[in-house]
Amino acid sequence: MYSYADRLRAMRETKIRHTLEKRKQNGCTDLDDFGTVPLSPGYCVIPWYNSENGSFYGLDGMAENFVRVIGAHEPYIDKNEMLCGRWRDMLVNYRGDLHYMPDWLKNNLKNLEFIQKGATNQWSKRWDEQRFPYDHLKPWHVKYNITSGIDSDAHFACDYRIGFALGFGGMLEKIRKYRAVNPDKAAFYDAEERCVNAIVDFIQRHIDRLHTMIAEETDPAVRENLKTMCETCENVKLGAPGTFREVCQWTAFFNCAARIYTRDGAGFQLDTLLLPYYEKDVKDGILDDETAKFLIANLLLIDPHYYQISGVDENDRDVTNHLSYLILDAADSINISCNLTVRVHDNCDPAFIRKAVYYLFKNKNGWPRFANDEALCSGYMRTGADKKTARERIAVGCHWMCVPGREFPMNDTVKINVAKVLEEALKDMRGESDKSTEKLFALYEAHLTKAVEITAAGINHHLDHIADVTPELIMNLMMHGTLEKGEDISRCAELYTVGIDGAGLAVVADSFGALQARIENEHLLSWEDMYAALDDNFANERTRAMMQSAPRYCGGNTVSDAWAKRLTESWVRIVRAQAMPEGRQMVPGWFSWSRTIEYGSKVGATPNGRRAGEPISHGANPNPHFRQDGAVTALAGGIAAVQCGWGNTAPLQLEFDPQITVEEGGVERVTELLLSHFRQGGTLININILDGEKLLAAHRDPDLYPDLVVRVTGFTAYFASLSPAFRQLVVNRFLEGI
Amino acid sequence: MTGIIADIQRASVHDGPGLRTTVFFKGCPLRCSWCHNPECISPKPQTLFYPDKCIHCGGCAQGCFSGARVLCGKIMDTDTVLGEILADKDYYGTEGGVTFSGGEPLLQADFLAELTDACIASGIRCAMETSLWFFREDIFTRMQLIMADLKIWDGETHRRYTGVSNERIRENFRRLNELGIPIIARTPVIPEISQGIPEISEFLRGLENVKKYELLPYHPLGNAKLTALGMGSPSFTVPDKELMKELNQHVFIR
Repeated sequence: MYSYADRLRAMRETKIRHTLEKRKQNGCTDLDDFGTVPLSPGYCVIPWYNSENGSFYGLDGMAENFVRVIGAHEPYIDKNEMLCGRWRDMLVNYRGDLHYMPDWLKNNLKNLEFIQKGATNQWSKRWDEQRFPYDHLKPWHVKYNITSGIDSDAHFACDYRIGFALGFGGMLEKIRKYRAVNPDKAAFYDAEERCVNAIVDFIQRHIDRLHTMIAEETDPAVRENLKTMCETCENVKLGAPGTFREVCQWTAFFNCAARIYTRDGAGFQLDTLLLPYYEKDVKDGILDDETAKFLIANLLLIDPHYYQISGVDENDRDVTNHLSYLILDAADSINISCNLTVRVHDNCDPAFIRKAVYYLFKNKNGWPRFANDEALCSGYMRTGADKKTARERIAVGCHWMCVPGREFPMNDTVKINVAKVLEEALKDMRGESDKSTEKLFALYEAHLTKAVEITAAGINHHLDHIADVTPELIMNLMMHGTLEKGEDISRCAELYTVGIDGAGLAVVADSFGALQARIENEHLLSWEDMYAALDDNFANERTRAMMQSAPRYCGGNTVSDAWAKRLTESWVRIVRAQAMPEGRQMVPGWFSWSRTIEYGSKVGATPNGRRAGEPISHGANPNPHFRQDGAVTALAGGIAAVQCGWGNTAPLQLEFDPQITVEEGGVERVTELLLSHFRQGGTLININILDGEKLLAAHRDPDLYPDLVVRVTGFTAYFASLSPAFRQLVVNRFLEGI
Repeated sequence: MTGIIADIQRASVHDGPGLRTTVFFKGCPLRCSWCHNPECISPKPQTLFYPDKCIHCGGCAQGCFSGARVLCGKIMDTDTVLGEILADKDYYGTEGGVTFSGGEPLLQADFLAELTDACIASGIRCAMETSLWFFREDIFTRMQLIMADLKIWDGETHRRYTGVSNERIRENFRRLNELGIPIIARTPVIPEISQGIPEISEFLRGLENVKKYELLPYHPLGNAKLTALGMGSPSFTVPDKELMKELNQHVFIR
């Protein structure tokens, strides 16, 4: 049988097989799946190094190695699919930094020998520290546990409309046109041209392989599918995509190229950008809904980019359309790690939101998630953006938004561990005779101001030099002004609204709350007792219990809730007060990624009863056991109250056991919960509705459920691919959440 | 006015439609052997003791912070309880609201009446879970929904396992039906007891405002609390799926 349902089933099975094979090749990866497929036998890349530190940088270094890596990629064609192309490997893996090198590459002796040859090990090889050192910042980064964003990979979004209009042939023409306008930028245009040609070659190799497969295929239906695939590839090799199928295939190839470059790229507003192609094909009688759904499912399988659907336009008109529904149905039909974000606004079709929540319940695979238009749009407008721009700033990342084609935001790459900042403040207060939470807060703010200043310096260092280290040769192709000016997007973006996130909010809020409650209000403990407890890591269990049981953040109008609000106001004020050059701005949020274990390992005991080295709190979420009843409304209300309000997020992460089912009004209840959180000002909701028994069984033996997907933070991941420690983290969070 | 409250749970999904806040009143006239909220039986404050959580710090007199000794029963005034209920006003939507439960809320009827008035004045829908041992028409008529149990059909058996006869409860079911308020009737399923579920179902079918009759399988969640209260624990078993499947032929929705 060759029905769509059978083919989708086969595609899912292949995906499961790939997940397990990849784990064998790469070991466990605590990351997004990224849509990679296992390496082909004999896959090998010999990189070209242009730096004496044993790495490669800049226009020629990146272009040459992109050509080599994409050139080594075998075509990927599955007879069951309608679209082709996958990625396996990226060139930045070859920068010779063993820390970042995947297991399979470390195990490939031929490569490893080459990569290590001539390397001095004196400098990091991902960032060109020889030319762009930042040693003066490093001690501060350690002191405040700052993730600086220096050398971070691309966290911005392309305007796909540019690519859809031009096609790869149009891009080559555009490069030639502006090369003549900017003769001094020849090196830039050479590099861009080499990259586009390499993508065109990549497509041509698929065409060649398809011809062979067509010749060998005996099943008429399969042969027909291969012939259509081949024709589609021919059409998009140089030409602009003209049909729904072509625009999906074009996107698949572009995304493969962007991933092979630095693993990056981002999705787009899937329902509105593809709508004209859908409508035209339906009108022309060459597309039906079942085929459109299959193509979308295929695209989602090829690359689990973050795509946004639904929402409103600049005039507050609902953009939800028939294709939005088909996209949800398509995601349901393939039901893999789908990073779909539903943009919610009062004017949006309520039936669509309900359907999106229904699929959360039905599949229990962590998709879709939900972003609040009102809070994000009005927040971003405070940076000076007009409404149209703010509306176009869509959800395309783990917890971040971006104006496609116009913004270079470094979003979600910069973090300050505020628990570490608190630790420094506590150290300073130790010698003071008059200790108080007010004094501690003043010291905390002084350290935070320094931490923000250091972080700003790191952001500027990255923005000033990233074009010479890792120019964005692929994504430049679909940005505004890049090819026109012969400049990397990091140098010519219209908007530099850089997200900066605080991590560990709940630890700090609960610490201040516990100190105020137990020492200042109730006089149960002295400051000296507290310092002694921090020094001996809460050897006295009673002291620890006393501090832990103080009313928590998200408890509901507690002393710690008040501190969380005050800490947020302080965080926003200090970040916004930090001067930035050249029109750059920092935009505050609360987010920790999933690095709660790593960040926690850097922080000693804290006054909330947390022992040294224990994980910090997750994102904007409270600490475990924040209320006896674990009320999700208290959680949602607490997080709504700590939104920073400038277009960055403080996400609400929810874990549900499906004790309430669709039939028992679960969909209505969860819909009401998320709409209410948004009405209170919340920005982003990531929800896991998981079957507890299945999760625990999968934790014991991950191979039992290789298709189980969990939303780890903003991103989703195959549970079976995660390391045991990370699986434990997800299980703990789930058990605490129910 | 003040009342004694055992607990207030926010975001409840099992005590009526939508997202709800459930207020557990302390004190109950019934003594159901399987009670899963035994801390709500006595109308006085009580301390529950969980030895597993004790850290043996010796500081009991100065306050317990480990969760080993938990005081149940707080004297609260109307405004304080209302404040807790209003905390989730944004989340009640078109269906949710507050559910008064317990214990038996009507054991503190005047306080309940005042609290109900305050909730309604604040735009909060009210529902209640009651044993129907008492009948307060003025309070019932202000509810969006009433959830009540008919636990055992035979009067003598009912008395043996709950401490009271069910005649008054059956009569109050009939009287409640006259008021036109939607009723959800329920029976906890205890495999060891012959409860007469077919007869209960037939009786309830005759009451037009019973919109739903549901069976709740016994669960031993109350046992830990019984032990913590020093009340021992009963030896009932959880009904298996086959029994529930068989009995579920008697449930209805209309």
